[in-house]
Amino acid sequence: MFRKVLIANRGEIALRINRACRELGVATVAIFSEPDRLSLHVRHADEAFCVGPGPVMRSYLNIPNIISAALISGCDAIHPGYGFLAENARFAEIAADHGLTFIGPKPAVINAMGDKATAKRLMHEAGVPTTPGSGIVANVEEARVVCEQIGYPVLLKATAGGGGKGMRAVAKPDELPTAFATAQAEAEASFKDGRMYVEKLIVNPRHIEVQVLADEHGDVVHLGERDCSVQKPSHQKLIEEAPAPELDVAIRDRLHEVATTATRAVGYTNAGTLEFLVHGGDVYFMEMNTRIQVEHPVSELIYGVDLVKEQIRIAAGEHLGFSQEDLHAHGHAIEVRVNAEDPDNHFAPAAGTLTSVVFPGGPGIRVDTHVYSGAMVPPFYDSMLAKIIAVGRTRESAILRMERALSETRIEGVKTTVDFCRELLGDPEFRAGGIGVGWLPAFLDRRAAAV
Amino acid sequence: MTEDAIATRARALAGALTEAGFARLRVRDGDTEIELRRAPRPNGLAAAVPAPPAAAAEPEEKPVEHREDIIASDVVGILRHVRPPIAEGQDLDTDRELASVETLGIRNPVRSRGGGRVVAVFVTEGQPVEYGQPLFAIER
Repeated sequence: MFRKVLIANRGEIALRINRACRELGVATVAIFSEPDRLSLHVRHADEAFCVGPGPVMRSYLNIPNIISAALISGCDAIHPGYGFLAENARFAEIAADHGLTFIGPKPAVINAMGDKATAKRLMHEAGVPTTPGSGIVANVEEARVVCEQIGYPVLLKATAGGGGKGMRAVAKPDELPTAFATAQAEAEASFKDGRMYVEKLIVNPRHIEVQVLADEHGDVVHLGERDCSVQKPSHQKLIEEAPAPELDVAIRDRLHEVATTATRAVGYTNAGTLEFLVHGGDVYFMEMNTRIQVEHPVSELIYGVDLVKEQIRIAAGEHLGFSQEDLHAHGHAIEVRVNAEDPDNHFAPAAGTLTSVVFPGGPGIRVDTHVYSGAMVPPFYDSMLAKIIAVGRTRESAILRMERALSETRIEGVKTTVDFCRELLGDPEFRAGGIGVGWLPAFLDRRAAAV
Repeated sequence: MTEDAIATRARALAGALTEAGFARLRVRDGDTEIELRRAPRPNGLAAAVPAPPAAAAEPEEKPVEHREDIIASDVVGILRHVRPPIAEGQDLDTDRELASVETLGIRNPVRSRGGGRVVAVFVTEGQPVEYGQPLFAIER
């Protein structure tokens, strides 16, 4: 096991990693930017280093200062959390060059999965179903040929893409030239990589992902699926749950099977998530995230496994210590993201001082957060303030528990998603389960029209 | 711009920064960008804010204005003093190297950014330092 781990992140995930290290008896080093000096993640760690000013390029993405902090404090490993440097293969390589273990998969796998066209090809070769589509198309003419073959509507995607950037839906042939040009220009500008590919557009699919764990001795297990179909128009997830409600048993088994097969096929190690689109009886691989995810607690609560501790143990070379047969899901868990943003104004992020913060408690409630009454929300970072997770014997009991928890939650000083999420939980379509990714955008349209 | 020209320019800007009461100032000139920030005063250091001139004071009794600059680290690393090390009370005629911070084997020089008297040395040889950590205080 490691002696000391540097946590290369901020916010709730930095605290989450700190907690896992504490329970493993591993010392911790936090990093922070100047505006985060009073953040909880700094106080919980054994040591902390300021690595730069507010803007992320100069602090949480400042590789030399972060690696230097790990070295001068005598760390032997780095946990990157999610976001920031978590899927940066170069960072993982530099860490290794300085004798630091990167807690995550190997750099070559991060690279392969980070390039979407490559990931799709590898998965296809491993027998994983993928959306009908092309390899890299050099220009709009090549794209047109592919679109004719697979049929409209299609999605144009940048192979380096992410967060909806470099992506355009094309419903009809005459929209193609403009869509191709704008998506490519956006990809060039955002990722310095304008390589594009084409995919069949699956209309209103469910977003269902499978959590896997793989040790460095060839053992792979899955921890079931999570349904993350409640997404804002920007494709950011807002409510997640496990298991996926109203999902056919045969599809569920197929997802689990495909995920573990794919994990083995690409030589994956550590914790990872395979995202799928599910449409009727069809399952399509979308991408593999080579990090711990925001919504990991819903899986933890129903499987009774601490995923962050497992990540650290695996990176330290330990065996998984349990097999698929040892893992059983109990009950249902649901997570609501409490973001400092305004649901009435296109989820515009808010910054400021939290004048009053009261989080819920009681049976079946877990709150992962880094904020407190009086804390500042700096304008530089992700707007997530907290994750509230409710677990119950059934989906209905978990939802009732979450409604009760949200009613106890008071956050003053900035606008948040708390009340909006209560509205979503009360919607009959959400309650019925099995909604697609088009549900929340349609809900917003109905809500705007009613005002 | 040469290093000396930048230092001269930065000194002039530092004056303007203090006078205007700004916390931060950034100036771009061709391909040179100068950013100045007022460092927080470390504990235990005497305030060097010029005394407000008394309305009735005779002009010749007005105290000499001293300005104190905090030289802070802009990287994370291990502090290495110059040899011989800079001592408190030492006078510097001009811009010179005071120490360096070693980051991943790279030596990042810490300069005085002009002359003055070193009134405080906050760090010792081999000490780990973080971004923004005060290293020296210089009275101009």
